[in-house]
Amino acid sequence: MDRSQFLVGLSVALFCLGLLGVIVRRNALVMLMCMELMVNAVVLSLVTYAARAGSTAGAAYVFLIFVVAAAEIAIAIPIVLLLVRQRRTLDVGAYTGLGG
Amino acid sequence: MTETVLLYLFSAAALAGAVVMLIARHPMRVALGLISTMLALACLYALLGVHVIAVFQVLIYVGAVMVFMVFVIMLLDTRDPSFVARYSRLLLPGALTAAVLAATLAALLARHHGGRLRPPGGADFHLQPFSVAFLRDYWLHFELTSVLLVVVVVAAIAVIRGRGGRDG
Amino acid sequence: MDLLTAIVLLPLAGFLINGLAGARLGRGFVSIVGCGLPILAFVAALRAFFALTGGDGAPLVATAYTWGSVGGQSFEIGFWFDRLGAVMALIVTGVGSLIHIYSTGYMKEDPGYARYFAYLNLFLFFMLLLVLGRSLLVCFVGWEGVGLASYLLIGFWFEDPAKARAGKKAFITNRVGDAGFLLGMFLLYHALGTLNFDGVQAAFAAGAPAALSADLVGILLFIGATGKSAQIPLHVWLPDAMAGPTPVSALIHAATMVTAGVYLVARLNGIYAHAPLASELIAVIGVATALFAATIAVTQTDIKKVLAWSTISQLGYMFLALGVGAYGAAVFHLYTHAFFKACLFLGAGSVIHALSGEQDIRRMGGLARRIPLTFATFAIATAAIAGIPPLAGFFSKDEILWFAFASDRGGGPLLWVVGAFTALLTAFYMFRLLWLTFLSPSRMDENTAHHVHESPPAMTGVLLVLAALSAVGGFVALPHFLHPVLPMAGIGEGLERYETPLLVTSVLIALAGLAGAASLYAQGPARAERLAARVPRLHRLLSGTYFVDELYDAAVTRPIAWLSEVVLLRLGDRWLIDGSLHGLAALARGAAGRLSRVQGGGVQRYMLLAGLGILVCVAWVWRHV
Repeated sequence: MDRSQFLVGLSVALFCLGLLGVIVRRNALVMLMCMELMVNAVVLSLVTYAARAGSTAGAAYVFLIFVVAAAEIAIAIPIVLLLVRQRRTLDVGAYTGLGG
Repeated sequence: MTETVLLYLFSAAALAGAVVMLIARHPMRVALGLISTMLALACLYALLGVHVIAVFQVLIYVGAVMVFMVFVIMLLDTRDPSFVARYSRLLLPGALTAAVLAATLAALLARHHGGRLRPPGGADFHLQPFSVAFLRDYWLHFELTSVLLVVVVVAAIAVIRGRGGRDG
Repeated sequence: MDLLTAIVLLPLAGFLINGLAGARLGRGFVSIVGCGLPILAFVAALRAFFALTGGDGAPLVATAYTWGSVGGQSFEIGFWFDRLGAVMALIVTGVGSLIHIYSTGYMKEDPGYARYFAYLNLFLFFMLLLVLGRSLLVCFVGWEGVGLASYLLIGFWFEDPAKARAGKKAFITNRVGDAGFLLGMFLLYHALGTLNFDGVQAAFAAGAPAALSADLVGILLFIGATGKSAQIPLHVWLPDAMAGPTPVSALIHAATMVTAGVYLVARLNGIYAHAPLASELIAVIGVATALFAATIAVTQTDIKKVLAWSTISQLGYMFLALGVGAYGAAVFHLYTHAFFKACLFLGAGSVIHALSGEQDIRRMGGLARRIPLTFATFAIATAAIAGIPPLAGFFSKDEILWFAFASDRGGGPLLWVVGAFTALLTAFYMFRLLWLTFLSPSRMDENTAHHVHESPPAMTGVLLVLAALSAVGGFVALPHFLHPVLPMAGIGEGLERYETPLLVTSVLIALAGLAGAASLYAQGPARAERLAARVPRLHRLLSGTYFVDELYDAAVTRPIAWLSEVVLLRLGDRWLIDGSLHGLAALARGAAGRLSRVQGGGVQRYMLLAGLGILVCVAWVWRHV
C-alpha cells in the first residue's frame, strides 16, 4: 500500500466517523463539529490527490474550501443559538419542524 | 523512515481524535477531540510538504472556527438533556450504514492503485509559487470568497436579529 | 333562396321560433307560426310541383351546402325533386299542415303547447329532408331525425313513465333497423363510390355492378325499412307509440314517417330490379306482416291500438307491392293510406276528445248521433280502408292485390290468397271498430255520456277535408304519373283475363267483412265475446299480440340485462375496474402512509437516508466504473 492510498483511506475513515457522528449524536453542536470533521476528511483526500498530481489549482481549491467552511460555521452557529433561544434545548430530537 | 513513522503516528492521532468525538459525552471534549484531529491533519499536510495548507489549517480551523465553537459551548447550558444522553435511536442503523459505507469505499480504494506521491516539498507547493499562482490566476475566486464572507456576516446578523425582532 | 331549400327550411324555422321563444310568445303566435310555416312549405311544394310538371320532366335539383370533399368525392346537402319526391313532399306538407291545424284544437289545453308545435315542425323538417334528399346520406340524416322527433313526440307526456318508456322502445327498436341501413349504405358507397340516388339508380340501370351483391344491399336496406315501417320482426314499437298525442299518431305513425321504409325501397327500385331474392323476401315479409297485424287488430279493444295494428297491416300491403315490383302501386297505397288513416286517427282523436280521454271501445257505442261529423268522416275513411268502391282505398288495394297475383316478378296465387284474406280481416275489424264506437247501443257511463260534445271546427274541418280526399283520392292515376321514376312490373303471360273476376272478388270480400262485422257487433261486443270464449287459446294469442314482446323480452332483453348486470356490472365494472382502481388507491394510500413516516422531521433520519444514498451511489460506482 503506497502512501497516497493510505491517506485516502484515512480520509474515508474520518469521513465515515463524521457521518456516524452526525447521525447518532443528539447534541446539535456536536453534530456541527462532526460535519466539520467530514469536511476535514474531504479536504485531506483533496490535498492528497493534489499532491499526487502536483497541482497548484488543488491547493488553491483547498484554500477556498477553508473559507466556505468558515462561512458555513459562521452561519450555523447563530442558527443553533436561535433554536436554543426558542426551545431551550440542544437536542435535535426535539426539532421536528421539517416534517413533511 | 522517520517520515513514514510520523505519518502513521499522526494518522493514528487523527483517528483517535475522531473516535473521541464520537464517544465523549461533553461537547467540550468533543471539541478538544476535533481540535486534536485538525492539528494531526495539519501535521500530515506539513509532512506532505504542503506547508501553506498546513498553516491555513491551523490558522483558520483551529484558530478561528474552533475558538468560536468552544466559546459557544461555554455559553450554553450544560444541563441540557443532550449532554446526558449521547445517542439518538438511530445508533444501530447509523453505525451499520457508516460501516458498510466505509467497507465499500475501502474495497473501492483497494481496487485502484494510485500513483506515487511526489517527493515532499515539491516546487509547486512552496509559498512563493503558490502565492503567485493564487494572486495571478485565482484572484477572482479570492475576491469572491471575500464577498462570500461579507454575505455571511450580514446573514448571521440577520438571523439573530431578524427572527428575534419579528417574533419577540 | 332556392325553392327546394325553402320547402325544407320553413318547418325548421318554425321549430327554432317555437322551440326557442314559443313559451313566451303566447298560444296565438305559436299557432300562427306552427301552422303557417308548414302551410307555406306546402305552397312552396305545390309551386315546385307545377314547375316540375310544367317543365320537360327533368327533376329539380338544388345544392344547399357542401359538407366536405374527400378526395374527388364531395358530400353535399343536395335536394332532388322528381315525381316521387313531389308526391311524397306534397303528402308530407299537405297532410302535415292539416294535422297541424287539427292540433290547434286537440292540444288547446295542453301546457306544452309550444313544445308540441316545435317538435311537430322539427318532424316535418326531417321528414322533408328524408324525402327530398338527393343522396342516401341526407336521407339518412332525415331518417334519424324523424326517429328523434318520433321519440320526442311519443314521450311528449314524459311525466308518465309508461309513455316515456314507449318512446325509448321506439327509438331503440329503430336502432336495429338503422344498423342495416348504415351497412347497406357503406356497401353501396364502397362499390359505387356515390350515395346519390340518381347515381345509384344509373349504376344499376346499366346492369348489376359486379363488385356488389344487389341482394345483400337490398336486404340490408330493407332491414332499415322494417325498423322504420314497423314490419316483422321490428314491428313491436308501433303499437306502443300510440302513447303519444293522437295527432302525432296520425301524422308520424300512420301517414308519413312509417312510410319512409316504403319510400326508401321505392326510391332504390333499381337495386331491387337486380335483387330477386331481396324482392321475394320483401313480398313475403310484407304479406306476412299484413296478415299477422290484421289478425291482432281483430281482438284489440283500444281504439288507437286497432288503428296502429291496422297501420302495420297496411304497410305490409305496401311492402307486398314493392316485393312484386309494383312500386307505383305501393306509393299509390301510401298516398291513399295517408288520407284515410290520418282521417281515422284524427277521428279517433275526436272521439277521445269527446269522451274526455276514454280509449276503450268496449265502453263506447252510440256516438253516431252525438258527434255526427266525426262519425260521417270516420265512416267514409273506414269504407275507404276496407276497400269499398269507389273510395280511395279500393283502387290502391285492388291494384296491389292484382299485382300480387299477376306480377311477372314474383306474383302468385298464394300471395293473392293471403292478401285477400287480410283484406277480409281489414274490412271486418274496421267495421267492428265503426260499429262498436258509433253504431251499437251506448255502453258509456252516465258522467262520460253527459259530457260528449262535438269537436271544435279546427278539428272537424280537417276531418272533412281528409274524408273528402279519402273519398276521391283514388281517382288520381298515381302509378301512371309515377311511371317515369317508378317502373311497374309487367303482367304475367295470359293472366289479363283474371283481372275482372279478381276485382269483383275483392269488392265482395270487402262487403263480406262489412256484413260480418255488422251482424256480429250490431248489438255491442257481447256476441263476439261469447264467440271468443269458445276459442280461448286463439283469443289469448291474438289479444296478446302473439306474445312477440314477451318473446323478445325472454330472448333478447333478459339475457342482455343478465349479461349487463352480472358480467359487465358486477364482474367487469365493480370487481375488475372498481376493484383495481380501489386497489391502486389503497396501495398508493398505504405506501404514502409508510413513506410519510420517513419525513418525520428528524434531521438525523434525513442524514441517515443521505448516508444510504451515498452508499447506493458508491455501490453503483463500484459495479460500473
